[in-house]
Amino acid sequence: MRDLYQRLALSPHATPQELQSAIATCQHSALKQDAEAVLAIPERREAYDHVHATVSDIGRLRSRLGLTHAAHWQGSVANDFSLPPDHAISRHDELVDRVSHAVTLYNRWRRFRGTWLFVATFGIGACAGLAAGFALCMRLWAA
Amino acid sequence: MSIARFSPFELVLLQSRSQVDTATLLLLAWVLVNRQPITDGQRRRRLAQVTAQFRHGHELNPVMDIAQQQDLQAIQLASEVLRKECTQERSLSIMHQAITLATDDGTLSLANHYILRFLADLLGVTPETLSTLFKELTGETLKAPEDISTEAYWQRHDPQYYERKAQEAAEKEQAQARAAEAERQQQAQREEREQEKQRRRQEREEQTRAKRERAQQEKARQRQQKQQDSQQRQRDNHRHQQQHEQRHQHDKPHTHTPPDRTSRALAVLGLTQGANRNDIRRAYRRMAQLHHPDRFFSESEQQVALASARFQRIKNAYDYLMQTYG
Repeated sequence: MRDLYQRLALSPHATPQELQSAIATCQHSALKQDAEAVLAIPERREAYDHVHATVSDIGRLRSRLGLTHAAHWQGSVANDFSLPPDHAISRHDELVDRVSHAVTLYNRWRRFRGTWLFVATFGIGACAGLAAGFALCMRLWAA
Repeated sequence: MSIARFSPFELVLLQSRSQVDTATLLLLAWVLVNRQPITDGQRRRRLAQVTAQFRHGHELNPVMDIAQQQDLQAIQLASEVLRKECTQERSLSIMHQAITLATDDGTLSLANHYILRFLADLLGVTPETLSTLFKELTGETLKAPEDISTEAYWQRHDPQYYERKAQEAAEKEQAQARAAEAERQQQAQREEREQEKQRRRQEREEQTRAKRERAQQEKARQRQQKQQDSQQRQRDNHRHQQQHEQRHQHDKPHTHTPPDRTSRALAVLGLTQGANRNDIRRAYRRMAQLHHPDRFFSESEQQVALASARFQRIKNAYDYLMQTYG
């Protein structure tokens, strides 16, 4: 399976007009014929787009997992859908990082829970006392 | 270290009792999602059926939802988990389950072709193993995926379209042919009419010419008749004179006869001086056969008239010679 969009220098979301003009200016007669047969008819283009999306996803997955030269990834599919490795880090490593970050935060919370509770209650009490004193002053002044 | 929140699949994975099972579940759900003509409920039931032995210990629905969205990051995470923590036997059993799910209805969708091969690469299953496993499970060999980006694929899978197109083309051709036929007929009619006109004109001309010719022939015949009559008359006169002369000559001595007429008559019969009576008769018979007017019956009247004139001359010569020699 070839990537007709890439070969026609189009994006997969190209409008029918763009597609028509690209097909009209295509120099390669076989590619032109196939593109006319596959992309110019809406229902066929839909079917092709579905497979195209899946295969593009697989190509991206393979490039991230280092599987672009595997035994089952050969021929025109491998030629057209292998992407250069991007710099997305391993999802698993990211998950582990995130989990460990969450764990340290949690541990820190657990460790300083008493202190934090004391500080919080003291702060809340102080605020309440200040508010009460302020209210009393206002009433006296008013009277 | 990212500050993003945990994604739904990460949460599921963290809740799971067995991460490998959860990752497998997601990939199998991905395979099922790419099997088109079934409903979500059927998918869910089928997935539950296949993964009854799994020890993940959480709901299937969130995993199904993630697979439905084709969340690439979740799939990548699941793949990584599988690759890290999968044994040889486990990977074969996962392949087994994936093939079963993908070919439940006897066909393998194009997307699943690629997904199965991706899983095989991911789990370290060689092409030979995959094909034997596929053969065992489905009874058919694993073919190369068909190329949807070619016209040949659509000619195989959408023949109605091409039939319709061919029909349209044929109809158009027929219409063209019919128009051409009508045009031709009109042309032919026009030509026929013209020919008819021309024929009539020719006929008229021929009629006038024939009339003229008949008149000319009539005239010629009359003229010939007249000539012949006059010749006959002359000859008759001649004969009478000769007979008179002969009668005179019989009276006169024989040596005085002029030889001129005799030699001319002999020349008419193709003889020379000194031919005897027998020769003359034979020559006359031959010449009469050659020049008899009945021989020219089938030819034109002109010929017949000429022949009869010649025959007359020959007969006259013979008669004369017979008289003189007799």
